[in-house]
Amino acid sequence: MPAKVRVLLFASAREAVGASQLEWPVPSGGSELAELLLALVRKHPRLAPILKVSRFVRNGEYLAARHGSIHPGDEVAIHPPYGGG
Amino acid sequence: MPVRFTRRPLSVRSAYDAVSESHLGAVALFVGRVRPDPFGRGRVSGLLYEAHVPLASRALSELEREAKRRFGVERVEVWHRLGLVPVGEASVVISVGAGHRAPAFAACRFLIEQLKRKAPIWKTERARPVRRPPPRRGPAHARSAD
Repeated sequence: MPAKVRVLLFASAREAVGASQLEWPVPSGGSELAELLLALVRKHPRLAPILKVSRFVRNGEYLAARHGSIHPGDEVAIHPPYGGG
Repeated sequence: MPVRFTRRPLSVRSAYDAVSESHLGAVALFVGRVRPDPFGRGRVSGLLYEAHVPLASRALSELEREAKRRFGVERVEVWHRLGLVPVGEASVVISVGAGHRAPAFAACRFLIEQLKRKAPIWKTERARPVRRPPPRRGPAHARSAD
């Protein structure tokens, strides 16, 4: 079975992809968040402008900008700008 | 156990009761409601709210603690609705119980402003379905005759 991460998508990111979550393949040795995002944009070009203003969360913890490694089994959330209330 | 997030209508009365201890002299309430279409076209039927619930819950807990520390208020509840919220209904209710009105108002204002900045909650507009006239029935030649 290929190694995967779970990508959670909310609001405009969910609408751009047409799904609230994806199972995305990553190398078994892991990858960089930036590489994952590039791959996502290649498949879903409408994500590009949204990712420029989004925050990213790995396993429940915010990542600084787009830096951070990801590994199989991780959960990565894409947070477009917030709009509660 | 705080309500925090719910898909059911929010009760302002319950939020008031939750912070209304008898020794507190002030309760401030903020209720955010879904507005009608700002352009008056009547197209918006409601807003669809979603949240990354574990993180949003954590953010609201931190804001509640911060409000108590910063303003010295005693009781704080922040409740947010999720799912489709029709126009006119409450999407968020914040209640603050304090000894006096000034810290109650200040904490209430702080909480709604910070919620908008820091809690992973989103809303997207949901439009009314466009009503089109029903298709005309009858044989094709009858329609083309007029």
